[in-house]
Amino acid sequence: MNPRFFWSPLAAILGVPDRVAEIRDRSLPNVPLVTHEGRKVQFYDDLVKGRVVAINFMYTRCTGVCLPSTTHIAQVQKDLDEQISKQVTFLSISLDGEKDTPERLNEFAKRHGAGPRWTFLTGKDSDIELLRRKLGAYERDPKVDADRSQHAALVIMGNEPEGRWQAISALVHPIRIRQAIERTVLPPSKWATGLAVVNEVPFERSPASFKLVQPVDLSRIPPLTP
Amino acid sequence: MADPGDCLNVDGSRAFHVSPPREVPPNTEFHLVHVRPLMHRFHPALPPNPLWGYNGQIPGPTFVARSGTPQLVRFVNDLPELDPVQIGLPILAVHRHGGFQAPEDDGYPLDTFCTGQSRDYYFPNSPAGQLRQNCHSTNWYHDHAIDITAQNVYRGLSGFYLHFNAFDTGNETDPAPALGLPSGQYDVGLVIQDRQFDANGFSVYDSFDHNGFLGDKFLVNGLIQPFMQVARRKYRLRLLNGSNARFYDLTLSNGRPFVVIGTDSCLLERPIQVSNFRIGPGERVEVIVDFTGTALGERIHLVNRLEQTNSRKPDSVVSPGTPLLQFRVNRDARDFSRIPDVLVPVTQGPRELLPQVQIQRTFKFGRSNGGWVINGEFFDENRIQADPRRGTPEIWHFESGGGWTHPVHLHLCDMFILARDGQRPPLIERGRKDMVNVGASYGSASVLVKFDYEFSEGPGRYAFHCHTTEHEDHRMMGQFEVI
Repeated sequence: MNPRFFWSPLAAILGVPDRVAEIRDRSLPNVPLVTHEGRKVQFYDDLVKGRVVAINFMYTRCTGVCLPSTTHIAQVQKDLDEQISKQVTFLSISLDGEKDTPERLNEFAKRHGAGPRWTFLTGKDSDIELLRRKLGAYERDPKVDADRSQHAALVIMGNEPEGRWQAISALVHPIRIRQAIERTVLPPSKWATGLAVVNEVPFERSPASFKLVQPVDLSRIPPLTP
Repeated sequence: MADPGDCLNVDGSRAFHVSPPREVPPNTEFHLVHVRPLMHRFHPALPPNPLWGYNGQIPGPTFVARSGTPQLVRFVNDLPELDPVQIGLPILAVHRHGGFQAPEDDGYPLDTFCTGQSRDYYFPNSPAGQLRQNCHSTNWYHDHAIDITAQNVYRGLSGFYLHFNAFDTGNETDPAPALGLPSGQYDVGLVIQDRQFDANGFSVYDSFDHNGFLGDKFLVNGLIQPFMQVARRKYRLRLLNGSNARFYDLTLSNGRPFVVIGTDSCLLERPIQVSNFRIGPGERVEVIVDFTGTALGERIHLVNRLEQTNSRKPDSVVSPGTPLLQFRVNRDARDFSRIPDVLVPVTQGPRELLPQVQIQRTFKFGRSNGGWVINGEFFDENRIQADPRRGTPEIWHFESGGGWTHPVHLHLCDMFILARDGQRPPLIERGRKDMVNVGASYGSASVLVKFDYEFSEGPGRYAFHCHTTEHEDHRMMGQFEVI
């Protein structure tokens, strides 16, 4: 049952505002978009309302992080348990509304094995820009922000009816994205945590960090006497 | 590594305890804390806000530990499964920040417990290596659950955890070698936090602000800009920045100095007099403030002069700043307290340890495609970034790029900061630290680490991370395994 049936009256009794409505009004604009199947949709009403969503930004000409991101999401889509996956909608929003026509997105979706619950979206630049801002997928540094190749590779996960929103980098191990999506779908009382979750990804010594282990260079350390 | 923390057993049932029974020394103190919802007024003009608190208190109850007396604390999760506020989730992991405890008692983000469950945390409360310099003074405890730390702490889950020992006795009338620092009602923990409120006076949080959430209202111990009645004598104030992403620069409105006696978990070797100091998220600074010589009825403010308009970094120091707390001088009181010239002698410091150092490691705190990384990597629960040997000192270099300041926190370690951009660090950073701010307006940091904690079982894995809690939730976290 939709937990909102409990929450709204409870919220009213406590006198606290309806946060689901607040999040909708503040962060989930109802902009018009077009799906990779050519269907006209409204972002909030048709794609987010009442659902669990996993949103990322991409564009088909991207030669950087879009490829690993998309590959990871494709993997997650495959790996999710049927019970969970039927509750999740994947939304990939193009940052290149001009070039990314529905046909192009459709071809991209096919190439990446997108299932029925994965929708690619395009739209007007100004609408996409608004979405990107509202969902927090932008950079504080305007120079970095203007560079599309450095765009945020985040998976923004929301359980809309419960007002729970999280984000995780699309570049982490796909199993970690899957686990985070499971946590978004399930109530905390049903979360898998502990050692089993830790060990699902094989143990690794960070190649990047261990590469930086060096013999000590005390010349970088100033003398201790004042 | 810790026990399975699943909220459900494999057969779908739910146990009350997620920790197995354990043997503890006979002198162990037991404490029971219920994590409960409560209605809290941040200010008389605001409506009661539905928060979460340890024992239903904001801030949580202050623990007082005596060196050599272990404590076993059972935390019970009495939070409702259904919550109308949608800030935080009722899944908990308790981390005693600055404390030295076994890996399963360290609040590892996946060692969680759910509504209706309890978890035991065992705190040995003995200084690492039995060295006096490793005695702790001010720890704090807060939530550390996976993905949701920022919101759970914002919702109210933090408190002080204080330590006393044979020198810092907690009684100012004790003769030397006791330190005689102000004690009892004159020893006060003050946690500074920031909050945002909506037009109706309800606390709000933006879960789409992945960069660090800032508030524009300032709380001390859960109240907006409160007052505190003080006597004309010395006070020991334990200041804690419990904010998610905000830095402060604190000063007194009457121009009187602070005498800094401790940073993070430990007392300094010698007190330092300063007119102002900075405090980043997660940091503690212990000061003595002397109200002797003030006028009865005088009002003195603890002022923040550091402006910060986004979570990237603090901006500049402004004048006159924002008053956080008002001291109202209302009485006289006898003062037996002292500020000794030497607080805690450092016997195993950089001088002794540097010649033993063999290796150095480098950790770059950065940003990559909208996410937070250490050495280009996101936290993975099963990846370690370092494997320091127990009792062997190392130098770790912390750097930050892109104009961000990151308050870096190491679990299980009181480090010495050796250098800031290759220069000697300022005096206030030469004591023991479990936090080191890195990046814009602080510079890079080279620190001396040594892990002395004695493990009863095998090696232990501990986290280090950015304490801007949103960055932490976004996996700006690494792990080291002490071997």
